[in-house]
Amino acid sequence: MSVELATRLIDILGGLLLFTMLLILAAGQLFRAIYAVAAQAVFLGIAGAVLAAATGNVDLWIIAGITIVAKAVLLPWLLMVVVNRVHISREIESVMPASLTLILAAGIVVLAFHLNASLGPVRQAITGNALPVGVTLILIGVLVMASRRKALVQMVGLFASENGIFFTAMAVSQGMPLIIEIGVILDVVLGALVMGILVLRVRSSVDTDIADLEDLRG
Amino acid sequence: MRRVAVWVGHLSIGVAAVLVAIFALGFLTGSAPAAHLDLPRLFPFAAMSLSVDGLSAFFLLVISLVTAAAAMYAPSYLGAHAHAPGVQTLALAAFVVCMALVCCAGDLVTFLLAWECMTLSSWVLVVSDTRNEENARAGLLYMVVAHAGTAALLVSFLVLAERGGGLDFPALRAAAAGLDPSTRTAVFLLALAGFGAKAGVVPLHVWLPKAHPAAPSHASALMSGVMLKVALYGIFRFAFDLLAVPGGPLPASWGWTVLLLGTASAVIGVLLALQQHDLKRLLAFHSVENVGIILIGAGVAMLLGGGRGPAALATLALAAALLHTLNHAAFKGLLFLGAGSVLARTGVRNMEELGGLARRMPWTAWLFFLGAVAISALPPLNGFVSEWMTFQALILGATRLGASGLLAGVAASMLALTGGLAAACFAKAFGVTFLGRPRTAHAEHATESPAPMIAGMLLLAVACVALGLLPGWAMRLLDRPTAELLGGAGASAAVTARGPMILAAGDATAGVGATAISVTAVAALFALLAALAWALRGWPRRAPRRLAPTWTCGMTPSARFDYTGTGFAKPLRLIFAALYRPRREILKETGPSPYVIRRLSYQGEVVDLAETVLYARVKHWIASAAHEIRSYSTGRIHGYIAFVLVTLVVCLLLFARA
Amino acid sequence: MDAIIAQVSRTLAQAVLLVAAGPLVTGIVQKGKARLQCRAGASVWQPYRDLLKLLRKGTVQSDTASPFFRAVPVLVLAATVTAAALVPVLWTPGGGDLPFGDAILLVALLALARFLLAVGALDAGGAFGGMGASREMTVGLLVEPALMLSVFSVAVTGGTTELGLLAARREALALSWTAPDLLALFAMLILTLAETGRIPVDNPDTHLELTMLHEGMLLEHSGPGLACIVLATHVKQLVILSLVAALFLPLGLAQGWGAAGLGLALGAFALKVLALSGFLVLVESSYAKLRFFRVPQFLGLGFVCAFLALALRVL
Repeated sequence: MSVELATRLIDILGGLLLFTMLLILAAGQLFRAIYAVAAQAVFLGIAGAVLAAATGNVDLWIIAGITIVAKAVLLPWLLMVVVNRVHISREIESVMPASLTLILAAGIVVLAFHLNASLGPVRQAITGNALPVGVTLILIGVLVMASRRKALVQMVGLFASENGIFFTAMAVSQGMPLIIEIGVILDVVLGALVMGILVLRVRSSVDTDIADLEDLRG
Repeated sequence: MRRVAVWVGHLSIGVAAVLVAIFALGFLTGSAPAAHLDLPRLFPFAAMSLSVDGLSAFFLLVISLVTAAAAMYAPSYLGAHAHAPGVQTLALAAFVVCMALVCCAGDLVTFLLAWECMTLSSWVLVVSDTRNEENARAGLLYMVVAHAGTAALLVSFLVLAERGGGLDFPALRAAAAGLDPSTRTAVFLLALAGFGAKAGVVPLHVWLPKAHPAAPSHASALMSGVMLKVALYGIFRFAFDLLAVPGGPLPASWGWTVLLLGTASAVIGVLLALQQHDLKRLLAFHSVENVGIILIGAGVAMLLGGGRGPAALATLALAAALLHTLNHAAFKGLLFLGAGSVLARTGVRNMEELGGLARRMPWTAWLFFLGAVAISALPPLNGFVSEWMTFQALILGATRLGASGLLAGVAASMLALTGGLAAACFAKAFGVTFLGRPRTAHAEHATESPAPMIAGMLLLAVACVALGLLPGWAMRLLDRPTAELLGGAGASAAVTARGPMILAAGDATAGVGATAISVTAVAALFALLAALAWALRGWPRRAPRRLAPTWTCGMTPSARFDYTGTGFAKPLRLIFAALYRPRREILKETGPSPYVIRRLSYQGEVVDLAETVLYARVKHWIASAAHEIRSYSTGRIHGYIAFVLVTLVVCLLLFARA
Repeated sequence: MDAIIAQVSRTLAQAVLLVAAGPLVTGIVQKGKARLQCRAGASVWQPYRDLLKLLRKGTVQSDTASPFFRAVPVLVLAATVTAAALVPVLWTPGGGDLPFGDAILLVALLALARFLLAVGALDAGGAFGGMGASREMTVGLLVEPALMLSVFSVAVTGGTTELGLLAARREALALSWTAPDLLALFAMLILTLAETGRIPVDNPDTHLELTMLHEGMLLEHSGPGLACIVLATHVKQLVILSLVAALFLPLGLAQGWGAAGLGLALGAFALKVLALSGFLVLVESSYAKLRFFRVPQFLGLGFVCAFLALALRVL
């Protein structure tokens, strides 16, 4: 695979990742957000495979495979199980009006691409505009966590942020070392498992509005 | 006797306007050098003069077009139901003469004198109808804002005059050339504030929706269509002529400021216009919107002029702004004259009390419709041509502005939004006022306006159509102003290089990218297709046609079933609630059970945010400051004399140094 | 002179093609929806039969309507067909062509058609027309900024908004899409749903007046007038689909009148329109109509997509 073809493919995949991020942000229902983050993981896996084919780095193949299995199949499946098992409200409620979140997201994109110019020495040529896209994904994932009320949507935001971290790492240094990548994915899986068990078991307060945590005051 | 005097007065105004138009046309299409006329010395310290160059001649043309139409219209309008027609005629004559003098002024004193007289005479027109006490308050607000603006203008002019040798424009130009950048920017911002207050730029537009409707309709047409343009003339004169950096570009911040103010004015003006149900207030808010659109074009011209971008692009942008000036004067004048006809025949300005006027006043209705299509920037009329040129200036400019092209893109999308909002607003205004069933007896007994009023509207309608279908002709008028202000070839070379009926923006040979359209050809195709479809509607056989009442779910049709203007604009009120902050009050009067409602009263209000947030606070601050100062006037003579003594001593200490 | 005649004939041929094929595309979408819903569905030629039926019927006009009401269908059809003449469907432009219209003029012509329909709806009096007109104008004006941004992002590299030149650029670039292209395409697809009046913005099959946006404006028209407006709706849908195809889907534009080239161009155009119709079918069958005050958020998503496309291209 030539370098130029790889750059172009990663460019296009970056655009697709941005679009799925917007879908997560604009999702009105929980399962749409979960599908969007699963699609995001698929695109990420493909990007990893493309980079692996272009640079010949065997670790990247493994990481791409783990990404697709864990973050495109396992974790979304886990979230869907929780959503289906427990009768929580499927609608995503947010703290600020939808138009404000969209404007903030647009501002974040402009910021990331503006910073791209000064981050020139850090990124590699082969991954094109992966660095600003990755930074955007991280920041918008955090925005999703900050602006949504229910715990499950915030998990989706966390997954999206983690996708962004992986994409950024890919842009800067051909992915993180294998051991760190496996560690991070294990952490995320563990977090999702803990959250899932909590939500499943504690059925009475399942419709947990994170804002209720404010009642836990001294 | 008074009627004859009014007719004679307006006739002379009209004849003078036609003569001035002929002079301006001759000047613009010819190649005579800038005319100069020295006036007799009224003041010992200043030599007064008049000087006409390309820009002045173009604005003279704008003034005379609308004046001619208003002069035809006014006598019948005033004859019907005016209050003090003699005073209004005199004030109108003074108003028009002063506007022309502002555009022709060659030095500081003439300019400011004419500016002040323009404000005074328009104030007389605003408060002339003493039957309505709202007019007096509107006039007061107008005077306050106008004088605040003039104060800012005075300061900026005087800064230039102090550095320079004299008070005439060449001396001011030379003085500006020697200024350091920060002073120059300060002068520009002051001038922008001063002229912007008069032009109705957000947030200094608050007087506009109160003052314009108060004046008689032909005066409103002149104030909206022409006086705002005279204020914009001031901005053009300052930015491109007096403060121009010789041989270099203007600072980029100026262009971005003007672009931002223009975009904000456009969006806010049209959003507030949508929620009005008073026809003339609605039109006044639309003037704010169109001033914004003109400033967008001017901003792009400032950004690209002087060598920062290709000369053709800067000329395109400036030509777009100047053409929109002329176009807006034409269609806004037409719309105000139409609204005036409605007011004259029905006595009602509130569109929720009208309806069904299209069958009773057909000429007024369809001329108003023409104006509505023009102001909504729909092809093939003139509003579309100038907005198309503004879009092209933004798109082609974005290719030159690098990363800031993103802001140009957002400005273009906001411009598209205002076009859509304007179309929705005029669908509402025209539909609720003229179509459907008459809602009150006033509307039911309306009759068509007399012929002179229709003639005035017809003149402006012809101008709208001609400016849309013959852009080459319009560009010839803009050759001199654009060439003089920006250098380079004129507007014709930049826009209609490929032919008089083809709008060609950009220049492929200069590597700028080029787009060419022909509104005339498209309009011809549209007419052809419409004729074809109309001829074919009798095929395969002429279908029988019968009339029946509109279906109203089985109830007797009445005007209560027609959609109201408030209802039409309600979805937008909800969607843009963050910008409107609408106030809503529902009062329910229930009977014995809470489910039986005897009476329901709904009150909804949308107040201009600038008034509540900005002006209320400023008024409050001024009032409290005045209250504080009042405590110092104790009423004892010794206190006052001591105050004078202290002031004298302080002044001596401060100014005796130099 | 020859070149001008050739160009005019090409323009008219494209317009005739779009007018003739408009109802067929609607028929295909209806058939596709029916099949997905496990129904047999009406034949793909049914819209033509509906139009002929309407032409044979008489007209019933409201007694409050002005003479303008009779002219509205004709003007709307003329405006829409004029817009159809502006879209590059089969040919790339030759050199030194007579300029006709660009993307902005096309959008403005469609806006003119919508304006005339809205005013006509208010003409007949009654509440349904006013409600439909108000909602349609609201959705229309919310589409405009996103549409302008998409056109801007495509036009800013070439520095032109002429559709023929943009289609030729897309031809030349063939399959090399970039991220901004993709994002602009997604934005245009969202806007297509709004402009063609399909679910999730509007339901074209509804018979309940309170759920109508576009149909609400048509309630008072009947007979040949209604046939004109329905034909205009079909043509407008095909115009929007061919606009998306011309700006984003490359390949297949012909150069001259050669039979092989023309056949290839026709086939390529049919494929692109079928793909986009498939998209419409899938979306219409998978989603429900949005509540009216959720539509601005949906269109806001399109606006942000277009904004991102411009940002990626410019920054």
